[in-house]
Amino acid sequence: MLKIFKRLWQVNWAEQWQYRANLLMYLLYWLVSPIIYLAVWTSIAASKGDVNGLTANDFVTYYMTLLIVDQITSNITLHIFAYKVQDGSLSSELIRPIHPMLTNTLVNNIAFKALSIMGLIPIWIVLFFLFQPNFSSVTWQGIALAIPAMMLGFIIAFLISASVTSVAFWTTRVYSISEFYFALFLLFSGQFVPLTLMPPIIQSIARYLPFQFSLYYPIQLILGKLSPGQIIEGYIVALIWLPISYFLFNWVWREGVKRYSAVGA
Amino acid sequence: MHYLKLLQNLLKLNIQMSLAYRADTVVNILLNLMWLGWELLGLSIIFNNTETLGGWGPGELIALLGVFRLVNTLMAALIWPNTEKFNQSIRDGSMDYTLLQPVNSMFLTTFSRITVWRIWDLVLAIILIVVGINMSGDITTPLSTLTFILLAVSGAIVIYSLWIVLIALTFWFTKFDNNVTILQALLDAGRYPVTVYPVWLRIIVTFIIPIAVATTIPLQALRGDLEISRVLIFIGVGIVSFWIASNVWKAGLKRYSGASS
Repeated sequence: MLKIFKRLWQVNWAEQWQYRANLLMYLLYWLVSPIIYLAVWTSIAASKGDVNGLTANDFVTYYMTLLIVDQITSNITLHIFAYKVQDGSLSSELIRPIHPMLTNTLVNNIAFKALSIMGLIPIWIVLFFLFQPNFSSVTWQGIALAIPAMMLGFIIAFLISASVTSVAFWTTRVYSISEFYFALFLLFSGQFVPLTLMPPIIQSIARYLPFQFSLYYPIQLILGKLSPGQIIEGYIVALIWLPISYFLFNWVWREGVKRYSAVGA
Repeated sequence: MHYLKLLQNLLKLNIQMSLAYRADTVVNILLNLMWLGWELLGLSIIFNNTETLGGWGPGELIALLGVFRLVNTLMAALIWPNTEKFNQSIRDGSMDYTLLQPVNSMFLTTFSRITVWRIWDLVLAIILIVVGINMSGDITTPLSTLTFILLAVSGAIVIYSLWIVLIALTFWFTKFDNNVTILQALLDAGRYPVTVYPVWLRIIVTFIIPIAVATTIPLQALRGDLEISRVLIFIGVGIVSFWIASNVWKAGLKRYSGASS
């Protein structure tokens, strides 16, 4: 099995490396909205002293950390998989004795991630000098707690995205459906603003949803903003979502493959 | 007159094409409404925590959202689909056919694809602008309304010209098919008044990729925040950039030699 992963890694790394210019463009595209939110909220915090207890520096550190955490926990499954169902090129992967989604697609995601983090580092350093955040609240314990949280966040988000992407077996409108999923993500993950500034009703729903593990929860862990009670609650909710998302994916995948008719093949 | 008729026919052709995908149109409009809901929720979260953003109130930000959606419609209805077609035509050589037509090639490149359902977005944008301005209590005069329209049009022309230059670069650098990503990426900066951005970002979205020229600045004119000399400069910039773009386009065409060579 390890040998298979090693080989898949070589292939997928080479594939992603070939598109490194595209990847830089993607990074640029993806950077803009966190920077805009950062600018909007720091300007509000600076004019009022603080927003609900959050200072301008709190916003700067939040979004600067978000840039890194998002690269680690996000995935591009929709873009590397959905078209294979639509044009039938999935057929050749289905006859292999390994799971197309849990091996090849997963490794491709990780290769993409590794490359985009390499691209992000110099950009992040430039932004560091532009915004001059004060990261004094970050501790080693916080980072140590955040690493497993980010892994959980990545795995849960990957399995849910894989489930959403598998809707491609039923309909060509999978892109519209994933847009809806993305809107939920924006609402509950803490992408737009730290969840503590969201309306109370959204906050109380977000506590029990998996989206916060992609951004808000690991970011707050790194920044040392969570109480021990909140940390434990977060880990419990994440560990509940892990099997749920796995079973969800397994079920959608099994039913989906049955419907697959290999268009064009 | 000739061009108007041609435009009418292209529009008809595109309506016919989109009629094949009626259900998709409905889905797209629903998604569009969902994003509008999200945008308004975002604004309400912002204004729950502050009274003004960069000196602008909630009504003005709703109006700005409307203006942003105008620009966004221009992009989604014309610029993105035609970029795709243009890049494709450079790769496979079908640009030859565009050039053989007895019409201005820049005109054809601009209007051959039109995402028809986006016209709905235009209506929504105008409603947002009217409602937002009423909410803000800003006093508008016929003169300020006129300068608003003039500046919005000239801002749109500036962005359009930049697009023409970006895709014309493909004539020199054939592999440059990421040509519009930078435009796409910075578009979102038009959602908020540029006055809240740090200086370096403000400079980028005003002078380099001038999204603000079509969003913040026209609205400033509507509020009466802009001196008359500034208004004239921005209108002048619109005219000059169109002139530059059409010349770059012509120079690019001379470089074009078809895909097979």
